Amino acid sequence: MTNSSNPGQSIMRRRPFSVKTQTGFTTMAIICFFLLYAPLLPLVFYSFNAGSSLAFWEGFSFRWYVAAWENEMVMDATIRSLYLAISAALISTFLATLAALGTTRTRPYRGLTAIYAMINQPLMVPEIVTAVALLILFAGIKQATDYHGMAYLIIAHSAFCIPFAYLPIRARLEGMDKTLEVAAADLYATRWMTFRRITLPLIWPGILAGLMLAFVISLDDVVITQLVKSSGQNTLPTYMLGQLRRVITPEVNAISSVLLAVSVAIVTVLFFLNKKNNNNKKTQ
Amino acid sequence: MKWKLTAVAAGLAFALTSGVAGIAKASGELNLFNWGNYTNPELITKFEAETGIKVIITDYDDNDSALAKVKVGGHGFDMVVPSSNYVPIWIKEGLLLEARPDQMSNFKNLEEIWQDVDWDPGRHYTVPWQWGSVGIMLDTAVYSGDINTSSIIFDPPAELVGKINVAPEMADVVGMALRYIGSEPCTLDKAALKKARDLLINAKTKWLSMEYGVIEKIAGGDLAASLYWNGASFRARLQNPNVHFGYPKEGYSLWMDSVAILKDAKNVENAKTFMNFIMVPENAALISAFARYANGVKGSVPFMPEDMATAPEVVIPPEFLKSGHFVPSCEPEAQGYYTAIWTELQK
Repeated sequence: MTNSSNPGQSIMRRRPFSVKTQTGFTTMAIICFFLLYAPLLPLVFYSFNAGSSLAFWEGFSFRWYVAAWENEMVMDATIRSLYLAISAALISTFLATLAALGTTRTRPYRGLTAIYAMINQPLMVPEIVTAVALLILFAGIKQATDYHGMAYLIIAHSAFCIPFAYLPIRARLEGMDKTLEVAAADLYATRWMTFRRITLPLIWPGILAGLMLAFVISLDDVVITQLVKSSGQNTLPTYMLGQLRRVITPEVNAISSVLLAVSVAIVTVLFFLNKKNNNNKKTQ
Repeated sequence: MKWKLTAVAAGLAFALTSGVAGIAKASGELNLFNWGNYTNPELITKFEAETGIKVIITDYDDNDSALAKVKVGGHGFDMVVPSSNYVPIWIKEGLLLEARPDQMSNFKNLEEIWQDVDWDPGRHYTVPWQWGSVGIMLDTAVYSGDINTSSIIFDPPAELVGKINVAPEMADVVGMALRYIGSEPCTLDKAALKKARDLLINAKTKWLSMEYGVIEKIAGGDLAASLYWNGASFRARLQNPNVHFGYPKEGYSLWMDSVAILKDAKNVENAKTFMNFIMVPENAALISAFARYANGVKGSVPFMPEDMATAPEVVIPPEFLKSGHFVPSCEPEAQGYYTAIWTELQK
């Protein structure tokens, strides 16, 4: 940052290009953060409105939080959403970890690129296409088995969460120093011990990041959920969407604010966990 | 943090058991597939208490996705609530059960005009849930002339220019323009269609916006008029007494959502019980009390909340009712012209 306005030719040549040193970087960053987060402020603000309007302030109150808390539909949908997101995040992260090991800890083999493409398919194929395909497939199974439970949603969510969990884990595996694993093998560690004692602890932050991403992606999915859900399976996002088409009250703001607070809390906790881990490593 | 964890754990356990059990095929169940935020919980509690039937509600947010889900089968729903212009499609696709509500004991409670409707002749399939209209919302503090005319939108007085909003609903807007120039919705008469297009394109230069969510804006004075739904106008008047609702004499749209039983319903008898139940005036009033539109059942008005029972937006004055028309589902060719006009208008 310091010298960018007074460029000595030789200094410039030696210093690698960095986006952070470009003029206007700070301004651009501030504008971007503002555009990203400013819309959230009125949302949270009006969740405390005493009136039923989203635009006129009528005094401070927790009325809408109480209303949401006492609204059985909201509670029911929230519990279902959390159950679904946790299940899908755990399943997809587990599968993604296996996939990441299988695509980085082997010699390159024929079809590896095809496997990458398959794992990342949910990122490429438009969501509505996947949703319609799942709708048709599951409708057939529902008719044949007469089972209408949550399994369909869990399978569907796990499937589209896999790439989100996979990418950070693979990045971590690729960035890891492979000689550590080789050293462990030299010291007669079995493959399982190597994985358990060396690889897993080192990629753990990647796995946590993947888990978190998968959780958040599952939590706010609408399109696939809407088409796959069976009778009595409203999730929080599909419930909120239904509200928006009718009459909006600050109750929606209250629910959103709570969701926002929960995600901020998750991110903060993970940040401190990570920081603690890094500090431990430095002192060792 | 601890209570949160406990809550989540309890939730997991609860959801797990209910999820694994799936929908048990108990005889006392009814799966209602309805628009989100449209079913009064009090109505359901009352129904459950009177009949012992447990009601499970699932939301949808548009006619097409509801239709698609039911069409592929395996959905597990018993009842659905399509809009009037979609009912013929549901019937034609063979998705609805001919439940003959017209032979049910409470059918006589329906207002005569709703006992026989174009989209369900003789009411062999459906029972009214709620109905309303698309008319003129006007801030009478800005303009005090005649409110019951669509010229407020299509040929606005000077006071209103630049302060008008129009709901982005193709069928309602183009249909109303066609009626304004003396034609009919779904017409194939090219001269009339051109005239309607020119009318709309000219009028648009005097509008401010084409969007939803106008209650706050008109109550707060950002807008002076809008083509919009009666229920929203009613809500706006509760915030600002100057907002009134007009029923254009040149013609305006009516809509109705109706309850129907699906052909592959598992709990047909329970569904029929529900149909008959909502035609009782005090039960119908509960539907209206929640989503705040009229319900079509005679004698339900006295059971509605005081502010609704006296609202001219909810209970249409009889002299204006005759110029209201249900939006028909146009043939594909007419639909094509509508889309062309709409695309040009959106530019």
